[in-house]
Amino acid sequence: MVLLTIGDIDCSYGSVNVLKDVHFAVKSGEFLGILGPNGSGKTTLLRSISRVLKPQKGVILIDDKDIYGMKSVDVAKQLAVVPQSTPVTFDFTSLEVVLMGRNPHMPRFKMESKEDLAIARNSMELTRTWEFADRPVTELSGGEMQRVIIARALTQEPKILLLDEPTTHLDISNQLEIMDLIKHLCKTKELLIVAVFHDFNLAARYCDSIILLNDGKIVAVGKSNETLTSENVRKVFSVDTIVKKHPVTGFLHVIPLSRPINQQQKSLSIHLICGCGTGSPLMKILKDEGYFVTAGVLNLLDTDQETAQLLKIPITSEAPFSPITEDAHTANLKMISKANVIVITPTQFGDGNLRNLDAAETALKEGIPVILLEDGSIEERDFTNGKATNYLTKLKNNGAITVKNTSELLHLLDKLENKNNKNSHQKKEP
Amino acid sequence: MKTDTETAHLRRVSHWKIYLVTLLIAFGAVFVLSLNLGYAPIPFSDILTILAKQVPILQNLVDSSSITQTAEVIITQIRLPRVICGALVGAALATAGVTYQGIFRNPMADPYIIGASTGASVGSALVIVLGVGVSLLGVNTLQILAFVGSLTTVLLVYTISRVGSRVPVTTLLLTGIAVSLFQNAIVTYMKTIASDKLLHGLTFWIIGSLAPTENWEKVWAVLPLIIVGAVVAYMYSRDLNILALGEDQAQHLGVEIEKVKRILLVSGALMTAAAVSISGLIGFVGLIIPHLTRVLIGPDHRVLLPTSAIVGAAFLMICDALSRVVMGSGEAPVGIITALSGAPFFIFLLRRKKKGYAV
Repeated sequence: MVLLTIGDIDCSYGSVNVLKDVHFAVKSGEFLGILGPNGSGKTTLLRSISRVLKPQKGVILIDDKDIYGMKSVDVAKQLAVVPQSTPVTFDFTSLEVVLMGRNPHMPRFKMESKEDLAIARNSMELTRTWEFADRPVTELSGGEMQRVIIARALTQEPKILLLDEPTTHLDISNQLEIMDLIKHLCKTKELLIVAVFHDFNLAARYCDSIILLNDGKIVAVGKSNETLTSENVRKVFSVDTIVKKHPVTGFLHVIPLSRPINQQQKSLSIHLICGCGTGSPLMKILKDEGYFVTAGVLNLLDTDQETAQLLKIPITSEAPFSPITEDAHTANLKMISKANVIVITPTQFGDGNLRNLDAAETALKEGIPVILLEDGSIEERDFTNGKATNYLTKLKNNGAITVKNTSELLHLLDKLENKNNKNSHQKKEP
Repeated sequence: MKTDTETAHLRRVSHWKIYLVTLLIAFGAVFVLSLNLGYAPIPFSDILTILAKQVPILQNLVDSSSITQTAEVIITQIRLPRVICGALVGAALATAGVTYQGIFRNPMADPYIIGASTGASVGSALVIVLGVGVSLLGVNTLQILAFVGSLTTVLLVYTISRVGSRVPVTTLLLTGIAVSLFQNAIVTYMKTIASDKLLHGLTFWIIGSLAPTENWEKVWAVLPLIIVGAVVAYMYSRDLNILALGEDQAQHLGVEIEKVKRILLVSGALMTAAAVSISGLIGFVGLIIPHLTRVLIGPDHRVLLPTSAIVGAAFLMICDALSRVVMGSGEAPVGIITALSGAPFFIFLLRRKKKGYAV
């Protein structure tokens, strides 16, 4: 059992302060992830924990010993580091590089013993590198090399393993294999792991807890699901994200949307009639364009309803899997009456949501333009024995406009927006 | 239970011993051959007898009645010190080359490039031009100034290229090149202002020659310095291995990086200065021999350092022997021979095994 304590450290390169009052503690068997944008001090933090860069203020303790008061060799017996990549100058074989991990345990003039060789072999078998033990490391691929470096770190027989974006340059299968191995070692060998990530999903998948670092300061610390929230991510990375549990893996999943665009607010208010995810991309696009967006009626737990919630779009909603009730319909009509344009997405229509088309008809009668986003697949989407198709044909006959794709829609909306601006301008004139 | 790879690794380690023994035998052969070459013909049997005569136990076992007094003087007082100096200079330059290449993780680093050699040459040239070459207690001022020049230059280069607590390889190499060009200019200037009498000696010495080493005084002057430098480098051979992974990782593996670097820079400067002080600037040995030896036995410094020393010694002995015979009665400076044979060989090496040796 070992405890790593980072006590209020300040670190700087020259006059540039990189870390400020960073403090946390980790113990054996825990997997801690550090996330933060470029230049937030992640690597600096790792370098100071690995006794390379002495902090100006504060202490770093292994159990109760200050690592900067310990000999380099004694720290190396307890703590190993796996960097992003390791360019090796001369063509040492994989085995020779792995055996270098025995250095802190060997007296100066000794050659490696059979025990050292056995330890090296064991860690090479764990990392599947034994098969190319006698190949020069200069001939290995990125993934193979990184596994060799991990084998070398394990050969140090450390209690603490620090990883600096260990899988950044690797393909997905290598990434998972290496991280699975590290996670396994963390749990079975009670290794204490501190790893820097810049991939949220990888961090969420493997870390017990996460530290979010920004400008050298800790912004959030705690269990992965407490730290990785869309609010925290926006605060640190200024990017809008959707954070949810992935239905298949059960891990938190961070989906970046886009950097917030400083779009001028437009005058049009658009009401979407959508469902089953057909409105989700449109909600994001229209919102980014600066339109005021509403939607309804959507059943709770519908993908579009979830998106609307994430994007903070006002909607009228109905209970999950229930037909639209009179109340919801009325609320929807009220919402529609405030809209300047209605857009109907190519969603599925059943008896449950047929009332939405009725609402569209009402809107059209009241003079609100209705736009149909059509992909020509109405027969496949109509589960009402043609009732929906009839509604749509009627809408078209009464002046609803059909567009084929999003860009046509945006073009049309742009025209309506200009017209709307002119109208309001003229109204003001007299 | 041993697998093939384990056996292979152990075999590789035991191969080192075979290499070392073979190289030592070759070294011995080159040594005797070098003693044979020269203006006065002395047969091998006589050389071996004379050599045996110098060893107390063998002295009584050999019949030295047929050996002339002249032959014995030529061998023991002229050729032997010169050949030994050649071996020492070759070993010193090769060892310094391995050390610098290891510290700077750059196969191009050698005593020249980081200024150790030119630093020593400025010190030595100064002594020659000013005519202050005096001997105190067996060590002459030329050697002292060569060491001072070499170490000062290495430390200067090291300090200039230092950023914070570390020395990035690129800045170090660039600083080394700039500083040695500067020093070359100083030496060339000294050459221009030197009197005709000094000019010949200075030129001969700048190109590099073992001609001035035909006395035992030179051997004793540099032997301890080179031994100390080589032993110190050997003590840190495992640290040099680990340095190949980069300075941060070496530190993670328990190497006190700044301390080790400082010690090795001083030991390299010591060996370079000792070599330059008796033979002038002999190029290419510090660059080529480590490469050649690495191809032969691999990059492990624990075996690379001693084998490079032996190979370097043998190489310079051969070059010196050639320098004595190629021109008939005269003598070509050995520096020309090392450059003429070394440069094409170096290019061949680069072409043959680009990967891993590419600069």
